[in-house]
Amino acid sequence: MIEWFHPGLIYIVGALLIPVLRGRLKKTYLLLLPTMAFINLLLMSNGVFSSEGKAWFFPFFGYDLILGRIDKLSMVFAYVFVISSFCMALYAIHIREDGQHVAAYLYVGSTLGVVFAGDLFTLFFFWEVMAWSSLFLIWYRRTKGAYAAGFRYILVHFFGGICLLGGILIHLQMTGSIVFETLRWGWGSNWEDIASYLILLAFLINAAVPPLHAWLSDSYPEASVTGAVFLTAFTTKSAIYVLIRGFPGLELLIWAGAIMTVYGVIFAAIENDIRRILAYHIISQVGYMVCGVGLGKLGTAAGEMGINGAIAHAFCHILYKALLFMGAGAVLEVTGRSKLTELGGLYKCMPITFHLYMVGAYSIAGFPLFNGFVSKTMVVHASAIWHLPVIWLMLEGASIGTFLSVGLKLPWGTWFSNEKPVCEAKEPPKNMLIAMSITAFLCFLLGVCPKVLYNLLPYPVHYEPYTSGHVVAVCQLLLFTFVGFWLLRRTLHVKPTITLDTDWFYRMAGKRVIWFCEKPLMTFSRFIDMKVMRLAGFLVWFSRNPTEALNIKKKEFELKLKKLVANPEGVKEYRQSLEEERRRYPGELPKLTLGASLLLILLFFSLYLILYLLI
Amino acid sequence: MKITTKHLFWILLGCLFLSVAIGVFVHLYLRPSVHFIWEALPIFNAMYGFIGCIVIIIGSKALGHYWLQKEEDYYEKHE
Repeated sequence: MIEWFHPGLIYIVGALLIPVLRGRLKKTYLLLLPTMAFINLLLMSNGVFSSEGKAWFFPFFGYDLILGRIDKLSMVFAYVFVISSFCMALYAIHIREDGQHVAAYLYVGSTLGVVFAGDLFTLFFFWEVMAWSSLFLIWYRRTKGAYAAGFRYILVHFFGGICLLGGILIHLQMTGSIVFETLRWGWGSNWEDIASYLILLAFLINAAVPPLHAWLSDSYPEASVTGAVFLTAFTTKSAIYVLIRGFPGLELLIWAGAIMTVYGVIFAAIENDIRRILAYHIISQVGYMVCGVGLGKLGTAAGEMGINGAIAHAFCHILYKALLFMGAGAVLEVTGRSKLTELGGLYKCMPITFHLYMVGAYSIAGFPLFNGFVSKTMVVHASAIWHLPVIWLMLEGASIGTFLSVGLKLPWGTWFSNEKPVCEAKEPPKNMLIAMSITAFLCFLLGVCPKVLYNLLPYPVHYEPYTSGHVVAVCQLLLFTFVGFWLLRRTLHVKPTITLDTDWFYRMAGKRVIWFCEKPLMTFSRFIDMKVMRLAGFLVWFSRNPTEALNIKKKEFELKLKKLVANPEGVKEYRQSLEEERRRYPGELPKLTLGASLLLILLFFSLYLILYLLI
Repeated sequence: MKITTKHLFWILLGCLFLSVAIGVFVHLYLRPSVHFIWEALPIFNAMYGFIGCIVIIIGSKALGHYWLQKEEDYYEKHE
């Protein structure tokens, strides 16, 4: 009986075959890989594999690498990654560039590697594969902006990777273990705390927690149409997974998450690019998850609610955010435009896309009957159980902003706001529409049957989202948001601008550093270079005949004195004799007697002795 | 029958009224459990939604106008 088979390996090994295949066979194969991975997960859930808990141990320099840590937490993330990857692959199936498919599947496979990693080395390995494989999804857009954003993206992620590696190595040195479990947390300054800080920093970078978030809103909107759909799901949600593993119940995360939810909303409200609006809403929605992890103090009912909420929201978020990016991507695909100032009136040309997009919009806003409602409210409810009024108000307030930007401003500006379409448009290719329909159906299914999702969660769920009070409260909140939007829709009108974010620091700093290197540093270096070369030249000249050289230097000094006091004739004569001596230099070298040589050697050694004694 | 903007307006108004009315009814008769004092107000969410929306629009617009929003070639210009 097989011990276990890694679902991530299906994608990683499977990706290598993609360039060999052609036509329909390739399309079928692209859909077959996620299907196989899904069947693999079903087999795992039903206990078909012999292993329980941990599988696939490999010895590595005296440590055990654990490639398969199988429990409810890893399984629920694996399920959503595999299901969403099927929809995303279907959305991208018409793409002819094999590289995009290979990069996407390496990305999915390595994310599954992170999810099933039971030790920190395996985690680090897949973490890095995830970073560079996702980079190609950005670069495949093949625009100048995409290349630049890709470089910034990978630099930030390499920085995160270095932090993670540093943290892991210090942790290993201090504890002697590489097993990935809840990490010790304290606000101290000993090495174990520093290890936790570094690992947390790496996780927070991937979770896009402000001020470390700008890589996301900078790069995702620059990615290829289909690549961006993949990007929305894996990096940030795998970061949530590792946060749950490593830092559950960390209070800092409650505030970080709540700030994220509001931060994303504010930036999205003024943004012009539709995919950037959605990217800011990834930050906002991941905020709910980060907050849920912070609320998830282990061993308490409220804590379990927080963790369950974070996972459920990650599950739902992956689906509706993929759907939203698919909708925005479809608009970009058929019109070549993604700015609200260049869009409008497209409803007549692409009504199906609009309706499918709106399913995602209702889901993210948390309307009853859609999946956002059953997951987001769990985190909000957890904050209520912990009795954190400010956090509760921030999370509820972010819901308003979410509906405002994603549910009203974006669709209004793209599909309406103009009587006639501002450009030529039609519905996107069929595979895109089918992928969107499946994803929309899943959003709806989880909204009406939350039990399907709740059964997958690691802790038992004692929460009923569909209470009358709750449904009415959400309806009131969102309907009156609409009233506010309608009254101020002209104020919300966007302009063709960009919004500065924390990437400003490294984008401008980068330019300043290059300027500093090219201008002042280069001038200084040339100056030093010249001086050193002159000194070296002088020393070479001097060493040829030091006695004569000293004589010449003495005469040069005398000449300067004579210039001040003697008559010009005398000076001229003196200069001529000096020129003659220079020409003859080095001339005949003086012969030293044996005694003089010995004296010089003794002198040298004495100097050396004094120097030695002094130092 | 063709649905016009006028119809939509009345449908929306009806929904708004209905949500408030049901909110009042639920609070009076079903008395759902509340965690914070303001939740006891039947129309709290309606007010929060409306005021929150206006604050977000005006606040973010002001933030963008006076500080964060720059012309599209901002970074190219500073190269």
